[in-house]
Amino acid sequence: MNDLTDPIIVVEDLVAKYGDRTVLDGVSFTVRRGEIFVILGGSGSGKTTVLRNLVGLMRPVSGRILINGEDFTSMSEQERIELRKKMGMSFQESALLTSISVGDNVALPVREHTKLEASTIDIMTKIKLELVGLGGFENYLPSELSGGMKKRAGIARAMAMDPEIIFYDEPSAGLDPIVAAGIDALIRKMRETFSLTSVVVTHAMESVRLIADTVCMLDGGRVIAIGTLDEIEGSDHPYVQQFLARRPDAEEGGDSSYARSLTGVD
Amino acid sequence: MIALAGRIGRWTLNALAAGARVSVLMVDTVFWLVVAPIRGKGLRTRSAVESFVEFGVRSLPIVGMICFLVGVILALQSSYTLEKWGANRFIATLVAVSALREMAPLMTAILITGRCGSAITAEIATMKVSEEVDALEVMGLNPVKYLVAPKFLAMALAVPCVTVIAMFIMVLGGFLASVVVVGVPASIYIDETIRALVEKDLVIGLTKSAFFGIAICWVGVYRGFQVEGGAEGVGRQTTSSVVTSIFLIIIIDLIFTVLFYFL
Repeated sequence: MNDLTDPIIVVEDLVAKYGDRTVLDGVSFTVRRGEIFVILGGSGSGKTTVLRNLVGLMRPVSGRILINGEDFTSMSEQERIELRKKMGMSFQESALLTSISVGDNVALPVREHTKLEASTIDIMTKIKLELVGLGGFENYLPSELSGGMKKRAGIARAMAMDPEIIFYDEPSAGLDPIVAAGIDALIRKMRETFSLTSVVVTHAMESVRLIADTVCMLDGGRVIAIGTLDEIEGSDHPYVQQFLARRPDAEEGGDSSYARSLTGVD
Repeated sequence: MIALAGRIGRWTLNALAAGARVSVLMVDTVFWLVVAPIRGKGLRTRSAVESFVEFGVRSLPIVGMICFLVGVILALQSSYTLEKWGANRFIATLVAVSALREMAPLMTAILITGRCGSAITAEIATMKVSEEVDALEVMGLNPVKYLVAPKFLAMALAVPCVTVIAMFIMVLGGFLASVVVVGVPASIYIDETIRALVEKDLVIGLTKSAFFGIAICWVGVYRGFQVEGGAEGVGRQTTSSVVTSIFLIIIIDLIFTVLFYFL
């Protein structure tokens, strides 16, 4: 199991629901400062819900999230805004504001949260875009960029306020293998350059192998395995093995495991 | 029977929940429009000006054309009855009073609903679907401050401004139709128009139109934030935004008409 020294995010017994449906059923884990923490799971496993709770887009039904030792779940909206300035998030579809240029997107949080001069913000914006390999693209509109470039711009925007923690939602989704590998390399570079804590939600095993320090595997709203990649691969949990081996669920009819699941007899 | 009671109960709960959400949105908007700027948190003035140009200035051609034609129609329809009494000069009175008190504010509001209310809903719904609203929130930027407050200010100002111009154009349409088609002497028409109008007509028309503007914006924003699903949801919300707005506009119109009838 992962070493718990110097935690930056502590999640304790998180329960979340959409209406009456329980999506997270007692999720607990700890993210160490400076590591790349991957939340792995299939569709509907609750991994996106964990992320939405971590960045404060949802409030859990019960359980706590401690960020830098402060209880994020019970904070007032004002305190949350302060804490959010130390977090950045890269969205699955990049979620750049389509009506303004890439540069304005990156500059937006800085303009709104600081009193820096316009020229300073311009330079900062150029540096951030340079960092993600998009130098010179500040005047383009998001619609003029390719999928991979949009994702890079989204990462530049997440980095705009020099956060301590950066969250990535499905960073390689919808990208070709080469571009996806480029994003993986960028995630590693961000961590190495700024000793940034990164929390990555994904279902792509290829990128997990490239970036993960710690892997937390979710299924059905519960943590079923947590540890280094080796520990996860060594896990004998049937879902973990099925996920890693990319085996489909049992087909209806004829399969004995399906019959067992119906009768409840093992 | 039980099913009916259940349905009424559920309908009431839904209506109350919607009412609560609208109230929260209203309080938030007023906060970001009035309280926050006083506390030095700023208002996105540039964005408000851009919205004003979009809602107001760019609506002028279509509103102007429609209102001109409605003025012509009002004059010719009035003449149909008034001619029998040899009272064609009173076309001026009818056109002026109905344009200022009723037709110009109403036509403007309905046209701006179709043009801009729908656009507000589509924009916000699309931003929500593509996680842009979430992105704002994660960046610590309040979506109401960033998206709603400027549009609200712009709409509440733009609708009365366009309405004033619409009133003038509608009266002009009536004037041209009466003079050219019906044959009322121009000087008589102008005299009658001036005699017919009082300050109160303008006040009533503009008060109504300010409320129409507020309704268009709030419905547009509310429907936008309500979106669920993808492109299909955006379409559904946009349609329902236009229908709800027009319905609300008629209700507001009715309330004001009744109010001023007794005042």
